[in-house]
Amino acid sequence: MATVFMKWLERRPADYDRGIRMLTLGRLEAMQHQIVETLIHEGTRVLEIGCGTGALTVAMAKAGAKVSAIDISPGMLAEAAKRIENDDVEGRIDLQRMDAVMIDELFNPQSFDLIVSSLALSEMTERGRRHILRAARNLLTPDGKLAVLDEAKPASMRDRLLFTIVRAPLRLLTWLLTRTATQPLVNFEGVLSNSGFDCEVLSTKLAGSLRFYLATPVDQDESERKPEMFRGRLTGGRTLRTVLIDLWTSLLRIIPPYPQVKPGVYAVGEPGRESPLLVTGNFELTVRRLVRAIERDVDAWILVVDSAGINVWCAAGGGFLTADKIIGALHISGLSEYLQHHALILPQLCANGVEGWRIREQTGWGVHWGPARADDIPDYLVRGRKKTDDMRWVQFPLRDRLEMTTVTLGFYALLILIPIAIFWHGIFWPTLIAIAALSLFYAVTLPWLPGRDGLAKSLPLVLIALVGMLLYSALWDSASVDILFARAIGVTALSVFIAAELQGMSPLMRGEQANWGWEAIIGGLLGLAYWLVPSVLGWR
Amino acid sequence: MSEGPNLGSLLIEHLYLARKLRSLKIHFAPERCKGLWQCYEVCPVGCWTPDYDVRCVVFHHGERCIACGACVLQCPEKAIELR
Repeated sequence: MATVFMKWLERRPADYDRGIRMLTLGRLEAMQHQIVETLIHEGTRVLEIGCGTGALTVAMAKAGAKVSAIDISPGMLAEAAKRIENDDVEGRIDLQRMDAVMIDELFNPQSFDLIVSSLALSEMTERGRRHILRAARNLLTPDGKLAVLDEAKPASMRDRLLFTIVRAPLRLLTWLLTRTATQPLVNFEGVLSNSGFDCEVLSTKLAGSLRFYLATPVDQDESERKPEMFRGRLTGGRTLRTVLIDLWTSLLRIIPPYPQVKPGVYAVGEPGRESPLLVTGNFELTVRRLVRAIERDVDAWILVVDSAGINVWCAAGGGFLTADKIIGALHISGLSEYLQHHALILPQLCANGVEGWRIREQTGWGVHWGPARADDIPDYLVRGRKKTDDMRWVQFPLRDRLEMTTVTLGFYALLILIPIAIFWHGIFWPTLIAIAALSLFYAVTLPWLPGRDGLAKSLPLVLIALVGMLLYSALWDSASVDILFARAIGVTALSVFIAAELQGMSPLMRGEQANWGWEAIIGGLLGLAYWLVPSVLGWR
Repeated sequence: MSEGPNLGSLLIEHLYLARKLRSLKIHFAPERCKGLWQCYEVCPVGCWTPDYDVRCVVFHHGERCIACGACVLQCPEKAIELR
């Protein structure tokens, strides 16, 4: 039994090539061929990291290259040696067994025109990979190139699913043969750029999961390096897309899917290694408003954390933005190594769901509570991360009240008006006008209406609405009693509903869930009155 | 008819939660306060004021409290409760 097992082990490197070719359906070979065709000339000095059984090594040597090939596996190297002997290219290839992280120790700086690595980087740890890339940059001549063929995690959901399916057998085989689990490259462009390379993806195969990266070293001093999860620069500029999203969110914000920004690190202005780091959620409107509020005055990094596309306050309250999410985002961001300070500025309004002290304990970063409103951030930073009480307290100014009224009604008006338009179109326009007038009136007069919450404030609103309705009826049409009664019921119901629903949108009142029960009861009573009273009084 | 009791109990549950939400109050144990001012930093309605002389916060303006729970969560000394 043992002998059989040993025999199988001995055979594995030879099988490896065939297995890979089968599983990648010949795509890897095509990409390797592309390397030989485009990058190898007579006398090109090549370092191959992870040569495996030497298929690419030999192909490059045959095309005229002088190859130093390294691998950590003796079995693979033995197989490669056999192949080299067969193909008679011995003089052009130097095989060495070593861990790839040692290349900076064992080769001289600027001694290679090309460094290639095919399906090897994904078998290494994140940290090892980063080390190798920096070392590779030093080993390359100034106009040298780095070619990487490897598995990468695709960006889109559909491709990621495909990727998982395609990858499963390859993963199993790799594990069986080499006992290493592969780690597909994530955001490899970012990693390359952080290691001092400019990079392009020359070709992708298998739903984008197999990629050919060609990278060239760029002159870059330390201060120009970017953090690992760097996704780009954000500006507050308006495009057709942002205008459409603004329109959608100003009417139907509460209907999912919410427009989202990809989590990661973004730059505003020209931030460097000492610039402040602001944390926010990934609701697109939140991010855009933050950027617009600060871009004129501040150069900063923004760590966009996945909050399920919900604004910071609601996401924190609902458990979508948590301390753990921020700790995780910070961990993979690469900011610990990049930034010279370790100070996080959290939005104050996520304090209802994000334990600041836990982030402090687990990461060692300083946690600072920023101002409640993004507009105050420049001032807050100028003051040395100190808040005035004004920056700390939320207000609900007219502008916000109007915005929130539109947001609430954009949705509910549809809910009310669509059935009315279909079944009862005679009262469509009066209802629409009543809803618009009442909510506008409510938004403007909210702070002066008596009562502490939406339900209490609905009482004065009902009275005012009834007076308004009676005035209208007396001045412009002489309606009969039963019509007046129906109008009163309708106006009352709308008033209660509007007043109670805006509570959830106000930062100064407790949650609106409190009102649903009462809204249902009041609605039920009004409905009952609408059906009962006329027949009791004999109007119908 | 099977939905009748469900709707009813849902309504009662909502009314109960509503009453609870309305009646939530801050309970503060000043002897635990170490003067980290986290509650003061995060309260959006200004219920907390630091007293720098005795390194302890003061809770006032209870009527402004919106029961958001931020101060409760941010106090590492668990000196604040909302119930």
